[in-house]
Amino acid sequence: MSTLEVTFVTSDRTVWTGQAAQVVVPAADGSMGILPRMQPTLAVLGEGAVRITGEDGTVSERTVHGGFVSVDSDIVTIGVDDAELVESAR
Amino acid sequence: MGAQQREYKQRIGSAQGMKKIFKAKEMVAASRISKAHARVLATTPYADALTQAIGAVATHSQEAQHPFLQADRAQSGRVAILLITADRGMTGSYSHNAIRTAEELANTLIDEGKTPVLYVVGRKGEAYFRFRNRDPHRAWAPYSEPELGSLGQDIAHTLTADLLSEDPETHLDELYLVGTRFLSRFKQAARASRLVPMQLVDAEDHVPGAFPLYEFAPDAETTLQELIPRYVESRIVNLLMQSMASEHAATQRAMQTATDNAQTQIDKFTRLANTARQAEITQEITEIVGGADALAGSGRTER
Repeated sequence: MSTLEVTFVTSDRTVWTGQAAQVVVPAADGSMGILPRMQPTLAVLGEGAVRITGEDGTVSERTVHGGFVSVDSDIVTIGVDDAELVESAR
Repeated sequence: MGAQQREYKQRIGSAQGMKKIFKAKEMVAASRISKAHARVLATTPYADALTQAIGAVATHSQEAQHPFLQADRAQSGRVAILLITADRGMTGSYSHNAIRTAEELANTLIDEGKTPVLYVVGRKGEAYFRFRNRDPHRAWAPYSEPELGSLGQDIAHTLTADLLSEDPETHLDELYLVGTRFLSRFKQAARASRLVPMQLVDAEDHVPGAFPLYEFAPDAETTLQELIPRYVESRIVNLLMQSMASEHAATQRAMQTATDNAQTQIDKFTRLANTARQAEITQEITEIVGGADALAGSGRTER
């Protein structure tokens, strides 16, 4: 099975980058799950949590307020203004 | 010690003091360049992601439109120039180069029959225009280095609001950025570039109507509405940070020159002080010899 290549950036730094099995983002019209081999998508993000499940099953979660996500041939790019780590998810 | 010698010693002392200050300032600037440059580089992934996303919308959807993308936005004839200068002095020609580039641009715009409207960042630029009785439309000064990100957001919001405004008094047709690009530690260049209206260059030739599967959530129009202000903001923040890095580099170079000049002064005055000392000694010897000769010539034998 293929994996997702995730790049998670804020306007001034790179938050998370690497291989992931699943990514859940808070799209403007509802939560959106991203799995490998998804069709190319470009979505606007609302407020909520971005949850990245790594290849080894580790989950990291960050709160974001607005941004965008683009998915194209298993390359996921998440761009937001600011991301705060959610402690409870660790 | 003679008066002349004392004067030279004083000058040497003050030049040595200044040299220490310049050297310290140079080292501070040098250490800040790399930090500032790292901040510039840190914004690159976000900017790349945005550029790609906007490219995707442009390539895969035709109906998407945005006021910033219209090639002809002429409405009020007002054209914004965002000029980024330094807050502090001792930066060599850094602020001056940026101001000159902005002036050249303003003159070109006036020749084209447009009205340049100035938005200035930094005290140096603000003071320049205020002194000439051409108050900038809006000035952000002084600003602090750690808050460049939020400053950029503030500037972007103001400019976006004015660009989209319907009121002919505030509406802006175009937006130019004038700042200093950080090409390398040793090379920076003041440049003017147009940000709005934007030109989308789609790399691949696509057949109209035959889109690959590409989904936009909620839709292409909304996505573009969201992305373009972000792009404007990211470009402004990036230029602010590049200018900051360039300012440090310019400071370092200016202070290096100042240190060298102080050393030249020290060398010069040391030489002059030595000459003055020699002259004094020579004069003393001449006086003694002259006195002895005068005594010998007077015919007196006892001392």
